[in-house]
Amino acid sequence: MLLQYWPQKTDVKFMSFRLPALVFSVVLIAASFFMIFTKGLNFGIDFAGGSVIEIEQPVDVNEQDVRGVVGELGLGEVQVNAARGTGVEGIEVIVIRFATQVAEDGDQEAAQQVANNSVRAALEAAFPGVNIRSSAAVGPKVSGELLRSGLIALGVALALMMLYISVRFQWQYALGAVAALFHDVIITMGMFALTQFEFNLSTIAALLTIVGYSMNDTVIVFDRVREEARKYKKLDLGQVIDIAINQTLSRTLLTSGTTLLALLSIYIFGGTVLSGMSFALIFGVVIGTYSSIFVASALVLMLGIDRGEKAKREVVGFQGT
Amino acid sequence: MLNFPAWKVALICLVLLWGGLLALPNAFSDGFLGIQPRDTGATDPQSILEYDQQKAAAEQSWWPGFLPTSKVNLGLDLQGGVYLLTEIDPEEVAANRLESLQADIRDVLNDPQLITRDVPEQDGSTLPIRLRNPDQMDDALRRLRRINPTIGATGGEKIMSIEQRGEAMIMISVSDAAMQALAADAQDKMIEIIRRRLDPDGVSEVSITPQGDTRIVIEAPGEADPRRIKDILGRAGRMTFNMADSSPSSIAAAETGRPRPGFELVQDENGISYLINRTPVVTGSDIATANQGYDPDDNSPAVDFRLTGSGAERFGRTTANNRGELFAIVLDGKVMSAPRINEPIWGGNVQITGSFSMQEAQDLAAIIEAGELPGKLGFIEERTVGPGLGADSIRAGTRASIIGLVLVAVFMIIAYGLIGGFAVGSLIANIVLILGALSGLGATLTLPGIAGIILTIGMAVDANVIVFERIREEQRSGRSPNTAVIAGYERALSTILDANITTFIAAAILYMLGSGPVKGFAVTLAIGIVTSVFTAFVVTRWFTAVWLRLAKPRKLSI
Repeated sequence: MLLQYWPQKTDVKFMSFRLPALVFSVVLIAASFFMIFTKGLNFGIDFAGGSVIEIEQPVDVNEQDVRGVVGELGLGEVQVNAARGTGVEGIEVIVIRFATQVAEDGDQEAAQQVANNSVRAALEAAFPGVNIRSSAAVGPKVSGELLRSGLIALGVALALMMLYISVRFQWQYALGAVAALFHDVIITMGMFALTQFEFNLSTIAALLTIVGYSMNDTVIVFDRVREEARKYKKLDLGQVIDIAINQTLSRTLLTSGTTLLALLSIYIFGGTVLSGMSFALIFGVVIGTYSSIFVASALVLMLGIDRGEKAKREVVGFQGT
Repeated sequence: MLNFPAWKVALICLVLLWGGLLALPNAFSDGFLGIQPRDTGATDPQSILEYDQQKAAAEQSWWPGFLPTSKVNLGLDLQGGVYLLTEIDPEEVAANRLESLQADIRDVLNDPQLITRDVPEQDGSTLPIRLRNPDQMDDALRRLRRINPTIGATGGEKIMSIEQRGEAMIMISVSDAAMQALAADAQDKMIEIIRRRLDPDGVSEVSITPQGDTRIVIEAPGEADPRRIKDILGRAGRMTFNMADSSPSSIAAAETGRPRPGFELVQDENGISYLINRTPVVTGSDIATANQGYDPDDNSPAVDFRLTGSGAERFGRTTANNRGELFAIVLDGKVMSAPRINEPIWGGNVQITGSFSMQEAQDLAAIIEAGELPGKLGFIEERTVGPGLGADSIRAGTRASIIGLVLVAVFMIIAYGLIGGFAVGSLIANIVLILGALSGLGATLTLPGIAGIILTIGMAVDANVIVFERIREEQRSGRSPNTAVIAGYERALSTILDANITTFIAAAILYMLGSGPVKGFAVTLAIGIVTSVFTAFVVTRWFTAVWLRLAKPRKLSI
């Protein structure tokens, strides 16, 4: 239907934009690093340690009251924020956060648990019948491990994907794909530093999914590049890549479109708990689509691919049923 | 590619039917499925009424027994509950063990010629011993090596490492290998004790699982307050019965810092001091059972326990000899109650009374019966989700999924028309299969898992789109609908596999290295990848083939 009105054959000279795109990407990456190092990531308690307690806001209680009650406990800096409409029914909640407790005997884990209990008790005493929707306390030992294992997961995933692509394609493709992935991950992290969205375990899951999605996108373009490169042996590699990208363009836009639709519905209707994760995914889908063309393919063009005898003998695999 | 022999069609239908059947229970209530409700022991009228209603519904259920009844297993973030990560300190376990070995060490070195002083206090998990005479070093080492306690029954590591320092010093410490084994041993014991404490009747759904060598994860669905669990597990559970000296002069002397030898001052909850004999008459290992009971005087909750045969015998003899004296029941260094002995207590039935609530008395009974923890449990992570928030999250997730699904379906039909409708059909089959797989595998659905499903909804059409684009191209180069469809599927296969295997790698890594909710996300993502390749490549192709055969279109509107 609608696609019939989409131009049957697009002929965008993507590769001729590769220099401005390169500049654009380098600027974005530099800005991301700048943001990450100056403003920093807003680590949630998963990675920073500390406590978060979320209470349903009683009718006649406001943030000030809660701040007063919790402030008296001597927990260091306490943040108290009201958040409207986090649940389905638009329940108003008050979120109380405080950082890792300093313990004289060095047992910060225990101090954190004690602090959490005392906040609960103080809230119950001050506001009888208060509904504590959730509470979490993460000691510094665990938070350090969670961050480390998250980063290891990211690293291992990148290495394995690179290996898979090297085996299925050629090393130039693998390098291009992985460069695109680093590009996506760094810029998404830069975006998190800029917006100060909370960076937590779900964000790492989202980053890994972006890696998967971006790789998926890149592989589909590469598959076409390889096919067309076989078909047009004499054609300039830049032209071959342009043909491949144009041929997969409507697929790229359609899939990005449906994925964005689904993600937007989580962002808008999924409540605050999922908003950070869906924000990362939305941003990642956009940047991943861009990078599969202007980073991954452009890098393959710069590195060149082996189109000689060796390439002919490469595994074609998976054809037919 | 478009030939679907009967066996293939049968296989496709079987997979879809099987997935549908596995997913089906999720649409009904437990009562409808004939699942008996779990007795939570709640005593308020509302809960009892609900329990009775569910039970009645379960009994009347006509759900056939051969159909599956297991639903998607909801994570704690969706059903509400308490997650606690606890850690055992191996050093402390080692120190406790060394402490219990001190008596043996003292015995073998008990030749007054051998050591300067008594065996000194240990310093953490090391015990320094200074010999009176350096010449006795060889003798002392030989004697110490004779104590060769091992962990476990067979083939355990030696616990002690004995090291000579300088001329006359010996350092006894717990060897590194033994420390590991002791921690693992303590972990097993602790899991058992935690289970008995938290779940004395074996009816609740508390899950207690080891993580690594020193950690234990406790998950209690439905629990809203972590403090009760922390309180129950935070106590060592060391219970003793000690005779007490109640003469005012002895107590006064002790309070000025000169206690009677072998006695010590211990307080109760109200700060009243008791002077108790350090050597207990009865310890936790002499207790056979403990239950919550009632005080016969005023019917208030109390804790009853029964001593084992030998414990009862010892206790009876001691009480017979100490008529009119006090005895103290001490738990973790605090006097729980200190009744006066009016007559000898034979038979081994003892009661602790106090101002307990029913819950406190039950918890205390569970702690006493479960026995003493081999070391302190440290809580290093706690997450609690209230049942209200869990229900909200499910509603929000379900709503987002339905809206996402509708948007994607409309978009696909606008983009591709009829054949887009086929893709939507297989998308729905995909979601049913994901639900069926989650229910059938017993995988846990978490909040990020719901995000994973929604993401899959968006990405599931990808394989269809790749194929449709190929078909368009083939048709453009002049092929007939049938050959265009065949060629489209053939040429898209390798792309689809390459693309999905890479995403699958990411999901697998997430599963292996992730924890909790992230793992849940990985599971749904991985299942989604498998089912979407199947539905796009098999189900949609089958729909298309049937339609091509029936409608025989001249040109595909694609």
